[in-house]
Amino acid sequence: MNKNILSTVVVVALIAAAVAWFTRSGPSAPEAPATGTEVAQADISGRTGALVDEIVFTQEADVGKITELIEAGSHHVFAQGITNATVFRRMRDSGRAAYDFSYGSTAELSINPAGPRFKDGRINPFHVPAIREALNSLVDRRHIAEELYGGLAVPRFLPLTTAFPDYARLADVARAIEMRYQHDPDGAKRTIATEMQKLGATMEGGRWMHDGVPVRVSVLIRSEDERKRIGDYVANLLEDAGFATERLYRTAEEASRIWIVGDPYAGQWHIYTGAWISLSINRDLAGNLSYYYTPRGRPEPLWQAYKPAPELDEIADRLQRRDYRTWDERQTLMTRGIDLAMKDSVRIWLIDQLNVWPRARNVDLAVDLAGGISGSALWPYTIRFRDRIGGRLVFATPSLLTEPWNPIAGSNWIFDNMIMRALDDPPLLPDPFTGLFWPQRIVDAKVTVQRGVPVIRTHDWLSVDTASEIRVPRDTWIDWDAQAGRFISVGEKHPQGVTARTRTVVTYESDYLDRRWHDGTQFSLADMVLPWILTFERANERSRLYDPSYAPTFDVFQRHFRGWRIVSREPLTVEIYSDQIYPDAEWIVAARAPSVTPWHTLTLGILGERNSELAFSSNKADRNNVDWMSLAAGPSLRILERNLNWAREQNFVPYAEVLGTLMRDGEAAERYAALSEWHRLRRHFWVGNGPFYLHSVHPVERSVVLRRYADFPDAADKWMRFTRPEIPNLELDGPMVVVSGEPVEFDLRITFDDRPYPEQDIESAQFLVFGSAGQLVFKGEAVNAAEGRWRIALSARELERLGTGSNSLEVAVTSRRVALPAFASHAFATVPRPRGTAMTPEPRPRGTAMTPASRTHVAMDRTHASGARHE
Amino acid sequence: MSPWIEHTLPVPVMSSAQQAAIPAPASGWLKDARRVAVFAALRLFALFVTVLIGVYLAILIANMGGRVDDLRMVQIRLSSVDAVREDPAFQAMNDAERNELIERRVQLEVERLRLDQPFILRSFDYLYQAMRLNLGRAEHLHSDSGAREVYSIIVERLPATLLLFGTANLLVFFVSIFVALSLSRRYGSALDRTVIGLAPTSAAPGWFYGIFLILIFAFLLPVLPPGGMVKAPPPEGTIEYALDVLRHMILPVAAMFLSSIFISIYSWRTFFLIHSSEDYVEMARAKGLPSGLVERRYILRPTLSPIITSFALMLIGLWGGAIILEQVFNWPGLGTLMFRAIGLRDTPVIIASVVIFAYLLAVTVFLLDILYAILDPRVRLQGAGR
Repeated sequence: MNKNILSTVVVVALIAAAVAWFTRSGPSAPEAPATGTEVAQADISGRTGALVDEIVFTQEADVGKITELIEAGSHHVFAQGITNATVFRRMRDSGRAAYDFSYGSTAELSINPAGPRFKDGRINPFHVPAIREALNSLVDRRHIAEELYGGLAVPRFLPLTTAFPDYARLADVARAIEMRYQHDPDGAKRTIATEMQKLGATMEGGRWMHDGVPVRVSVLIRSEDERKRIGDYVANLLEDAGFATERLYRTAEEASRIWIVGDPYAGQWHIYTGAWISLSINRDLAGNLSYYYTPRGRPEPLWQAYKPAPELDEIADRLQRRDYRTWDERQTLMTRGIDLAMKDSVRIWLIDQLNVWPRARNVDLAVDLAGGISGSALWPYTIRFRDRIGGRLVFATPSLLTEPWNPIAGSNWIFDNMIMRALDDPPLLPDPFTGLFWPQRIVDAKVTVQRGVPVIRTHDWLSVDTASEIRVPRDTWIDWDAQAGRFISVGEKHPQGVTARTRTVVTYESDYLDRRWHDGTQFSLADMVLPWILTFERANERSRLYDPSYAPTFDVFQRHFRGWRIVSREPLTVEIYSDQIYPDAEWIVAARAPSVTPWHTLTLGILGERNSELAFSSNKADRNNVDWMSLAAGPSLRILERNLNWAREQNFVPYAEVLGTLMRDGEAAERYAALSEWHRLRRHFWVGNGPFYLHSVHPVERSVVLRRYADFPDAADKWMRFTRPEIPNLELDGPMVVVSGEPVEFDLRITFDDRPYPEQDIESAQFLVFGSAGQLVFKGEAVNAAEGRWRIALSARELERLGTGSNSLEVAVTSRRVALPAFASHAFATVPRPRGTAMTPEPRPRGTAMTPASRTHVAMDRTHASGARHE
Repeated sequence: MSPWIEHTLPVPVMSSAQQAAIPAPASGWLKDARRVAVFAALRLFALFVTVLIGVYLAILIANMGGRVDDLRMVQIRLSSVDAVREDPAFQAMNDAERNELIERRVQLEVERLRLDQPFILRSFDYLYQAMRLNLGRAEHLHSDSGAREVYSIIVERLPATLLLFGTANLLVFFVSIFVALSLSRRYGSALDRTVIGLAPTSAAPGWFYGIFLILIFAFLLPVLPPGGMVKAPPPEGTIEYALDVLRHMILPVAAMFLSSIFISIYSWRTFFLIHSSEDYVEMARAKGLPSGLVERRYILRPTLSPIITSFALMLIGLWGGAIILEQVFNWPGLGTLMFRAIGLRDTPVIIASVVIFAYLLAVTVFLLDILYAILDPRVRLQGAGR
């Protein structure tokens, strides 16, 4: 009996102990920060490099869990944009979760313009541009944004993403066009009726009939996301307008066979609920008109059915070829082109979707306005706990180590790239709010462009000048002789000389070559030159590194590349010549400035590919039936380790004739020894120079651990100003009633965080005045009156032109700090002058309007844009 | 007469003429061996043909008779267009240059995937390689560690699947067998009625219970992890690692157990009830044999063949995992892999999964044929032993 009791007690105790152990700490990875120091207000002065000690990446694809994981404290950042309104609401209501917004996804209606009749003889009403154009007023974009997308979208009318700089630059034009195409279902139906009657259709019993049969519109509706509701909404509108509709619900693959590949003249569809994605801020949308509205855009049958008006076609062609000599000319072309595109309307732009990026409330990081967290280049430089320095931070990503990592042609997945960005330190970094680049490792850049090539400069860290002709010096390297293993100079390849459209001279920080890789070895020029050699080697059919899949990319490169040379080693100065032009000079520097890659890790890969054991690219790996090279994990590591041992024994230097002259004495031995030790400790070969190093990789367990690189040279707060987008906040004051013929003034306050917005950072503050019929009467620029205060003065003559009635004053402010423009509007009425009074001489002093002033608060179109960051 | 196995119940009583016809023992043994060899060969051939047809059908279905090629062409084109348009290096190109670049990229991908060859040729090549168990290379997927060999991709996921689903299914199987056996003796008891009442709860799949278990045990009372196979980063010691994996298994195993246990007990209990009412069982009881002995010798032994069959099929059913459950618990198993392979139309991975399952099933069926004869003396080759 006693024995039974004893055994029962023992069993119960064991079970209790097991339960206690298993349930000891709740969800995975909620552990306290490894080395975090609790501080009330994080004091980061004096600290260099990253502000957290360790980042753990783990895989979590279920967005439904994210808020709970953040609340449980087990995860801090989710690296995927959420578009689900229910999840968003849950997060909004959470006490511990916060979020940021990004733009980049767009929904639209693609219209099939084939016609006038399809192959089966049916009439296609949408071959008539006026009917397509009328759809702009038939749809209520605000309803789509607020109801169908649950507030996670903003209305969009134009072929310009509303968060990108081109929209801000053309804000006045955009506003005027948007006013013209406001929601007006009755007007749209009238236009449709007029045009349908011209086509010979008749309205019978509320239905359009043609050739004795109802006019049926096939709406091809994507069924996986919110576009299903858009499709239903549009089909309902068309039924209200008198069309019979057929709703074709299809997935991406099923739909693409119909709308992209199918013959539009077959009449399988009329309207498709399309969507487009941009993963980074595109500062030059001039090519959009050609891409979206002309047959040049794409070779598929739908594009070949486009018949743009000759003027639109010409403007679109000129814009995509950048055939303009000044920036003003470009803007004029854009203005006219957009206007014509709206009249053409083979696409009805509906909304720009907002992606929500969740994070813990006590975490800060820079979030890209287009790419969100996963597309942000600055996240590793800015991520921190608000209430402490250091600590461990856990990222959840939907996928991890999706494809093999190598620096030449490795994984291109955004989540892999997001991690890799923390491991490297490029010469320039893009601004997450404007897309313009800032210097990180360079101190100066000089861009010279051929006269007549329109290039603008925004920042003052670089200079731009022009030259009538840019001749490339004869000693500049322009090609590579794979057989001889040496560069070919311009003088050898082009004895008659060669010219370029741009010259970019980049000067690096004075101690750039003194810096060290994560394995402790010092930079050398070989780290900069070896990637250039590979650029040519991989395109050379006689090289063992030849990669057919790289050839098309190289051909593009060679078409514009005109050479480069190292002008000076102390400080390191490099000169690059090219025919490739970007409208922003900052982009030209970013595209040209060479970066470094550790030559000793690249060498292991080169040996692997030469020996046909591995391949840098996926395509070549498949062709050769070998593994796609990964420096981080997997079967590649065994081969790379073997190559390392061999290279170490041989003290091997690739392309020794060139690289040998660029290395220090004993550099190869030092590098290989350090890499062996690195591999022994970390079990991988990914060596970088970023604010974090790759501590460990756990491919099967789906986790990756980064740790702070203690020797990173920059102050920890170097990029902290980019953790919040400084979108201007507008307040517009002015009279609500003015007397026609009297001058009047309106006050505009531009602030951020209740502080005046610096005048030098305001790119423009334009105003537009719309008359009682919604027509644009005139526009102008607000004038800076004081710190954060701007004045809009309308003269007596201008008010006379308005006539009497209700009017609207619209203000569009664009900032140099953020691409998103801010809008405000103010409604006012003009009343006739009392009989017998004389016209007041202008200008009338400020504040003496005859009617009581009222304050009109900002009427923002994008409710979320007013604070792209939410706590 | 074909030598198929059949149950020969009841065992016929041989006449004296038949007894006289029984050959001498030595030649009878040889004859039996030959008959067994012929049976095994024919059986294996039939199973091979079945596998061949099944795999080819899978190839045809997975590729929709070649129509998937069209879809893949569209996807290749779309992804090439997106890749070129999104790359800042190509933003300065004009439309003609960009379209030319896109075309070249499309062509490279078409060549890589052999889409320039007719599907019918590729389908026979797929079949030939599959039947030789040469699983080849995936077209899109990689193993977690980066290998493209289908074998590596599957083998990497297999342990996680076997561990989770093996544990849960073995638990369900043995618990339900023993509880069912016990209930069959307590027919109509409160426990029996409770189990019958709870049986419909198995209509809900495991992932459904999983969601609630995660909500309760991972978020409301945060005592267990909500998903994954091991915490991040994984513990470095082997014992800590193993214990952490066990801890991560608790919720998914519980979810699968809850979703299957009652219906499983109910069906086995009904099965045992039928056998419990056989005359020879009643006779044993009437003789006053202990109930344990009755269960083992008079109920379990005659029903061993269906139990073993069910067990074997359960074991090979582990192949493939469970797609949604793995998604809910973020478990890196074969189900998720197949889900991704189907989504990406990665034909080699899909075919590999099918062919391995087909071979496993064929081998299991063959082994079961032999096991039946060992377990049940009533099972004989047709024409033998008469």
